[in-house]
Amino acid sequence: MTTGNVLKKEKEMSKILFNAVQNGQQALSEYESKRIVAGANVPITREAMVHSRQEAVDQAVKIGFPVVLKGSSPTLTHKTEMGMVRVNLKNEQDVARAYDELMDKGIHLDGILIQEMVKGNREFVIGLTRDPQFGPCVMFGIGGIFTEALKDVSFRVAPLADDDAREMIHEIRAVKLLDAFRGENAVDEDVLVKALVGIGELGMTHDEIAEIDINPLIVTEGKPVAVDALVILETHRA
Amino acid sequence: MEKFFDPKSVVVIGASNSSLNLGATICNMLKDYLHYTWPVYVVNSKAETVNGCPGFSSVLDLPETPDLAIIIVAARHVPGIVKDCAKKGIKRIVIESAGFAEGGQVGEAMQREIDEVIKTNGIRIMGPNCLGTLSTRNKFCSFYGVNPSLVEMNQIFEAPGNISYTIQSGGVAVLVMESLYYDLVGINKVVSIGNKCDVDEADFIDYFQKDETQVIGMYLENVADGRKLMEAAKRSRKPILMFKVGRTREGAMAAISHTAGMANNDLIFDSACKQAGIIRLKSINELHSLPKMFTEMPLLKGNRVAMFTNSGAFGSIAADLLVEADLRMVPLSGQTQDKLKKAGQVFNVKNPVDIGPAPPQTYLDIFEILLSADEVDGLLPLLSVWQTFVIDTLHELLKMCKHYDKPAAIYTPNAVAKSIAIRAKHRIPIFETPEEAVRALSVSHMFHESLLKRGFVYDQVECEIMDDNRTITGKMEAAL
Repeated sequence: MTTGNVLKKEKEMSKILFNAVQNGQQALSEYESKRIVAGANVPITREAMVHSRQEAVDQAVKIGFPVVLKGSSPTLTHKTEMGMVRVNLKNEQDVARAYDELMDKGIHLDGILIQEMVKGNREFVIGLTRDPQFGPCVMFGIGGIFTEALKDVSFRVAPLADDDAREMIHEIRAVKLLDAFRGENAVDEDVLVKALVGIGELGMTHDEIAEIDINPLIVTEGKPVAVDALVILETHRA
Repeated sequence: MEKFFDPKSVVVIGASNSSLNLGATICNMLKDYLHYTWPVYVVNSKAETVNGCPGFSSVLDLPETPDLAIIIVAARHVPGIVKDCAKKGIKRIVIESAGFAEGGQVGEAMQREIDEVIKTNGIRIMGPNCLGTLSTRNKFCSFYGVNPSLVEMNQIFEAPGNISYTIQSGGVAVLVMESLYYDLVGINKVVSIGNKCDVDEADFIDYFQKDETQVIGMYLENVADGRKLMEAAKRSRKPILMFKVGRTREGAMAAISHTAGMANNDLIFDSACKQAGIIRLKSINELHSLPKMFTEMPLLKGNRVAMFTNSGAFGSIAADLLVEADLRMVPLSGQTQDKLKKAGQVFNVKNPVDIGPAPPQTYLDIFEILLSADEVDGLLPLLSVWQTFVIDTLHELLKMCKHYDKPAAIYTPNAVAKSIAIRAKHRIPIFETPEEAVRALSVSHMFHESLLKRGFVYDQVECEIMDDNRTITGKMEAAL
């Protein structure tokens, strides 16, 4: 990436964060969160924010079926529980119907997020937290709905060297899930390393970010992709 | 820093002749047990002399400016006394009194008052709520209330060693000192840092880089500044063995994300240790059981271990432990096996090497064959024999280890009590259990790995550590 691009990306990230803090938001929407983590070298789903049924259908065609639709709002941190997610939409009719259903829920939204449907058996999590004694720390582990039940995670204090990232990846109990698995390729570890280092860097440079959850990070054909992300802002503690 | 350990004049503020006065115990220790020859003054309300130490009613009246002031009075008097010390030009103070940060709002206000004075006067403080320092080579100790009949202070000071401890608890400091009776622990310095309002654990890691210290042992209840600690540890060429208690969840209180919810302080502390090359201890006893592996033996530079036993059972027990510790039971080469066959009395020439009844020379031959083998990085001798010649044999083994620059973690099943009784006197690093011996190999290897990762080369013979260019950098000045 050229220096110009890096600067442009950093500018976009700073703008998103600045606006959210100004608005008194406690968290970023999934869409905004993904812009931030993508800027930190985390691969994210192909997605778009849409504001009409037609736009949704057009974007679905562009992204390619099947797609997922999610109601988007910075206050909506538990989308699935609120019934604001529609998955596996296979054609234009599905998308149009799902769009209407989400809009009819009567929940205040800033748009509908439409994204590619990523399929894979392995789900990981990457996170950022701030420790009172050590400051920003990066987490890696087994993601998905069982994250907290399994608690198979490792931490490193930011900033991370590549070696730190590699070590923490290999520290989880289910480390075998990184190898070739049930006919799927081994996980591209270099992508994970870059993402972990990037999230650590984000914690070092952006004090306004309190916590981050990137969960799940689904592995498809060996490539991890962030399917959902949540950036919590420091303002909520003030 | 040096003046905390080697003051050429001291004032004990709060020492008096009242019964159960704690300050007086410091005077007694210095005068009666350590025969400290430099001036010791005391300050108390009656200006009375304590055990021959001239008494004054104020620090300001002292005939000279002491190198070190030890304050042991009720907390409410401390801020005023610190101000007097500043006026007198005293630059090093140990506050042993408790009742500050741990004593609620009033305590915190007093703490702020003290911070202000020391900042504007360039004073360094240890404590509050601590015991201060002990230095065997300087024959100095500021600990109060140490009962010389419980801890044989003479023994500690007569045989100075190369282990320095930073300990956030008086009780644990005494445990370590008491271990001298039965373990091979030579002490260089001990510091009890208490609430560490100023000087903290990271400062001492830096300080211990430039003295006789070979191993740094630490007991912490909290971390003053996590990042400062990590930076100091990363710079350390000497192994840091740390026991830490206190598994708080304060960080998770306000958590919204799953990440913050799962991040308990202890998990993060563990990660920080790994990143900084700190060896985290699993039990408090490891503070005295493990340092001898570093002071008496070369480092384990690879993970390939050869085991040598005359008891098949212990061979199996230790083999399991080795694998759990990420070490390897090395397959011995054909050449090594041939040599072992010729040594005689060997039942099994494969790892673990098993031997029947044999004279001492056979043991020595086998030690030599295994230590000189290229495929072997270290030795785990599990010898269930005990006769007086064993001591001599083990001394020969120590020499061989130094010669081949490979360590041995010695364990003597069936003779544990006898080994413990002689190991300190004969300076033989013997471990009490197979778990301990394997753990010693494991931490030795961990430390070597962390040195490599940080670009250091350790040279035990020189007691110096060199960087990759093999230039001696051990003279690096610490921050203080």
